[in-house]
Amino acid sequence: MTSLSASSQRSGFAAAIERLPFLPALLILVVLIALNGWFEPNSLGFRAVTGLVSTYLALMMLAIAQTYVVMAGDIDLSVGAILSLVNVVVIVLMEQWGGGGLTVLAACFVGILTGLACGLVNGLVVAALRLQAIVATFATSIFFTGLALYVLPVAGTPAPAAFWRTYGGRILEVPFVFWAVAVLALLLVALVRTRLTTLLLAVGDDAQGAFQSGLPVVAIRIKGYVLCGLFAALAALCVTGDTASGDPLVGGKMTLYSVAAVVLGGSALSGGKGTVVGSLVGALIIGLINSLVFFVGTPSEWQNLVQGLAILIALMAGVFVGRRVGQ
Amino acid sequence: MTELLIRGARKAYGATLALRRGDFDLKGGEVHVLIGSNGSGKSTLCKIVAGSVKPDAGEVILNGQPVTIAGPQASRALGIGIFYQELSLSARRTVAENILLPDLPMKGGLFVDRVALASRAARYIAEFDGVSGEGFAADTPVFKLRADQRQLVEIMKTLATEAPILIFDEPTSALDRAQVERFFEILKRLKGEGRAIVFISHRMDEIFAIGDRVTVIRDGETVATSNIAETDVPSVIRQMVGDHDEVVAAPPAAPAVSGDTGTALGVEGLGGSGFSNVSFSVARGEILGFGGLHGQGQSAVLRAIFGAAPRASGAIAVRGEPFAAANPRQAIARGVAYVSGDRGRDGIVQGRPILENVTPVHFLRNRLRIVRPGELQKKAAGPLDALKTKFQTIDHPINSLSGGNQQKVVIARWLIDRPDVLLLDDPTKGIDLQAKSDLFALIRQLAGEGLGIVLYSSEDAELLANADRILVFNSGSVTRELSGEDRTRYNLYHAAYEAA
Repeated sequence: MTSLSASSQRSGFAAAIERLPFLPALLILVVLIALNGWFEPNSLGFRAVTGLVSTYLALMMLAIAQTYVVMAGDIDLSVGAILSLVNVVVIVLMEQWGGGGLTVLAACFVGILTGLACGLVNGLVVAALRLQAIVATFATSIFFTGLALYVLPVAGTPAPAAFWRTYGGRILEVPFVFWAVAVLALLLVALVRTRLTTLLLAVGDDAQGAFQSGLPVVAIRIKGYVLCGLFAALAALCVTGDTASGDPLVGGKMTLYSVAAVVLGGSALSGGKGTVVGSLVGALIIGLINSLVFFVGTPSEWQNLVQGLAILIALMAGVFVGRRVGQ
Repeated sequence: MTELLIRGARKAYGATLALRRGDFDLKGGEVHVLIGSNGSGKSTLCKIVAGSVKPDAGEVILNGQPVTIAGPQASRALGIGIFYQELSLSARRTVAENILLPDLPMKGGLFVDRVALASRAARYIAEFDGVSGEGFAADTPVFKLRADQRQLVEIMKTLATEAPILIFDEPTSALDRAQVERFFEILKRLKGEGRAIVFISHRMDEIFAIGDRVTVIRDGETVATSNIAETDVPSVIRQMVGDHDEVVAAPPAAPAVSGDTGTALGVEGLGGSGFSNVSFSVARGEILGFGGLHGQGQSAVLRAIFGAAPRASGAIAVRGEPFAAANPRQAIARGVAYVSGDRGRDGIVQGRPILENVTPVHFLRNRLRIVRPGELQKKAAGPLDALKTKFQTIDHPINSLSGGNQQKVVIARWLIDRPDVLLLDDPTKGIDLQAKSDLFALIRQLAGEGLGIVLYSSEDAELLANADRILVFNSGSVTRELSGEDRTRYNLYHAAYEAA
């Protein structure tokens, strides 16, 4: 009986965490926001938040991209390279097509197709050819980077004004990036309800069981990678809007940040457990850690060290909360 | 009327023949029981129908048409629903999602129709109303369920296929009496609807309670099919055993051990996950066999003694001294050796040279830090030769060897410094006949040198030929001890297949 009463005492929070595995991450996020406000009150102002979102929207998109492959127990180490490739493709097309309103849209469209194609390649290589995801996508990342360097060998071509002014501008007095976040939220709400999400998680849980149940496991994993390519392309559009230029190596560093964001968000790298909301929160945590490190006034040579430590602490805090509740 | 015929199905894995000649026929409106001892080929036969194994020869005829079943999807499309013994559930999905996973109701072409999902799943959940136990609900994630409840979910998932042919591969192993009775009511109703049902179980009482016909498979060959009404338990067991049911040629009586005789290993009231109240003792020079069906606690007991699995209660003594290993390291230091049939997981150090695979225990037991490679090689060579291990040089990676030779290397590891107790956990899994006979010759010799040996084997013939005494396990406890003249196949099967 004692165990029963003890379990009912904490069942509220435990049940909440079970339904929303990103709750620990959300707590960390709140703490980070408070710390940011403490050290730099202006950082909670409207302008600062807008700046934060426009800078980290790309990482949020990339973390979402990564989530869809991690759900199925896979991983994609090429998301950063896909981002770079889409970035340079979009920039070069916009420049060649003149940079007018419609051509900008057309270039974005081609960019998204590029992302989808990269995702398809990854999916075929990993799921159909059955290569190890971690190594195969590492190889395709080198391949995609090579393509990006062929499209635009040197960083620097500027984006047309029509593009970055829209990204940094406002529609009906609301910054464009907030509209983007709102659309993204709607999209994610819809995606959570799709059959594909359930099947991706089922494959991540037990691929053999899913196969024996008669599920098309290979096709499901490929779709996960295609979805990943789509969101990596969207991330590339955000980066293009934020930096207003092309850079064939811009995404390289972001790959493992996306993996870290996914894990911070409470997803299991072994698959079967994950939420896109958690990954979003994870990406924001990384963004806020970076700005906090800056606001605290860390000397530039120490910034990497402090940033790394802070991410470690955030990871440990998440695991700690999860374990306490799991007991 | 549904009709499934399998003719002359044959399947070999490398040199091992899993199924020699499988014949089976199934009609609508019957429950057809498939029975055979461990490794007799019944699971392979099921997997051929499921599409997860492609037969090398033979044919499958469905409703008069020869069919090839390319995979689980094809099998579903042909109207075959399968209950997998090892379950095919997604642990973090809910009960309802699991039941309908292969065929989630959709709306708008993309989205899961939650309302339809709930109502359709509720139908199958209601089948087990009242017996499904505490905490069983449509929205419970499967990992929170007990083993019997998970098995119920797999049953519901199989029922939800609504297929004309249903195959249940040991669906009742974790269920309690009330759940089994409810399941049988459902089977009877489905039978009445004209469905064709294959039922695999090791519990004789269940087989006779629900079956209409029974087909016995022995050594990969279909022996006979009979009507349940016209047969009985002894004749089914006799068919499983075959003609060679003489008292097994007793292995040489435990040789006298020079010096002090006595107990090598004593176990009293051992309990843990998957076994309870296990007591036995092994004399020096004796080979004690563990028998029974797969997974009745035999491995768990051995692993608990070795400190590789948790132990809840009980006492262990090695050569009369109390001993309780918290981990394998302590067990090794005390002279307890453990050889697992699962070489990949428990045995070999992947990709490393043979030398490194032979010496880790030597390092540990002698607390060595630094050694001369030459001396080490000499020490390793002795046991390897004694086991007739075939290898090119001792520096070749272990993966270059055949399964049998890999296992010899793993065993050689324990022979540089002689242990007091040797625990063998299905040690001959997947190794060839020559290697097996070399192994058992060595094991007998080791017993002669005064070791106490415990041998668990999933192959009954192996056990009968090599063990001086056999403890038969059923549901985690020892249900029978066979020694001397009693060590016959018949007795072994009878004890193993008794209702738990």
